[in-house]
Amino acid sequence: MRRATAAVFAAATLALPTANALAAVTAPKATPKKKVVTATKTFTGTAGFAGRWGDVQVTIVVKKTTTTNLATKKKTVKKKITKVGVPVYPDHTDRSVFINQQALPLLIQETIQAQSSGIDMISGATDTSTGFQQSLASAIVQARAWK
Amino acid sequence: MIAAEPRGVTRVEHIMGMPIVVDVRDVDDAAALDPLFEWFLLVDETFSTYIAESQISRLGRGELALEDADEDVREVLARCEELRVETNGYFDVRAAGPVLDPSGLVKGWSVDHAAAIADALGWRNYAINAGGDMRLRGGALPAPVWRVGIQHPARRDRIVAVVAGDDLAVATSGAYARGDHVIDPRTGRPPEGVLSVTITGPDLGTADAYATAAFAMGTAGPAWTARLRGYEALTLLADGRSLRTPGFHFA
Repeated sequence: MRRATAAVFAAATLALPTANALAAVTAPKATPKKKVVTATKTFTGTAGFAGRWGDVQVTIVVKKTTTTNLATKKKTVKKKITKVGVPVYPDHTDRSVFINQQALPLLIQETIQAQSSGIDMISGATDTSTGFQQSLASAIVQARAWK
Repeated sequence: MIAAEPRGVTRVEHIMGMPIVVDVRDVDDAAALDPLFEWFLLVDETFSTYIAESQISRLGRGELALEDADEDVREVLARCEELRVETNGYFDVRAAGPVLDPSGLVKGWSVDHAAAIADALGWRNYAINAGGDMRLRGGALPAPVWRVGIQHPARRDRIVAVVAGDDLAVATSGAYARGDHVIDPRTGRPPEGVLSVTITGPDLGTADAYATAAFAMGTAGPAWTARLRGYEALTLLADGRSLRTPGFHFA
């Protein structure tokens, strides 16, 4: 059996290179010096294998802020993860329920901490957290490609 | 419009009982990673103790003579024996019983070979991570290096340290959530007083074996790691202290 859940966390800077600012922007007025456009999009990672306990799948909500300097036409793009959710996680045995009750709230916190340190990989565990990490990695790859 | 630089590809597959993550920043096409995953599938077929017809299973049952095994198999078993001697018996492919099980070396060794394939493909910026142990080269572009968080063994929300490198292997051995995995071959029991050992160095197979051995040694592990050449260690002890070799630098 699988359950759906989601957890909301404070925004954290997405440790990604800002994508090439190619998004088309139309200015409503000619007078302001800069124009700010925000957009929000949800990215779902591939199901990450969590050892013998099944799969975990991570969803991230990313807010993109595009700031255009109207004088120079230069655009800067900032992306932040505003929410991390785990729509699918293993709970089909008593033991994995136990593991997830303990691990998943912590794991999500780990994500926020990890990216605030600009971590690319994590060395250590091999079970749920790895599946979580892999699923998260694929969601971040999608977010990185978002223009 | 400027031609886009490669954004990189991350691909995850479950092989050899663990997730294998390959993150390459030099290419955009996930199919370019096929040769690496084909290699890992071949390793699984050859070395799995779960596949009855693998060469390792047949060797273990005495149905295959060592001299008739593949060169890769002979190379791995010879290296296992070298490491057993070098670690005073703490890295032992027969530690878990009479079954021949070189998986403690096969994981790192196969990642080292995958890194050689990646080099031959001309990649300069990649990370190959097999179940939390990895080889890194170049950087997570546009960053010039890869940054690896060392997970706290008891608190999975914590990263105790960060290491960075552009040509590095990182292996961590510990009890972690899936229970006591490494045993001290001398007592037959899990080691006490130590939570995890992380080893960095040039070769992942060696780093992984050293991490396993140092963890099995318990509180005697850190002193042993201080004598290693070309490899650095960080040991987290159950009393809250962490001990590292002088060359183990935090990023």
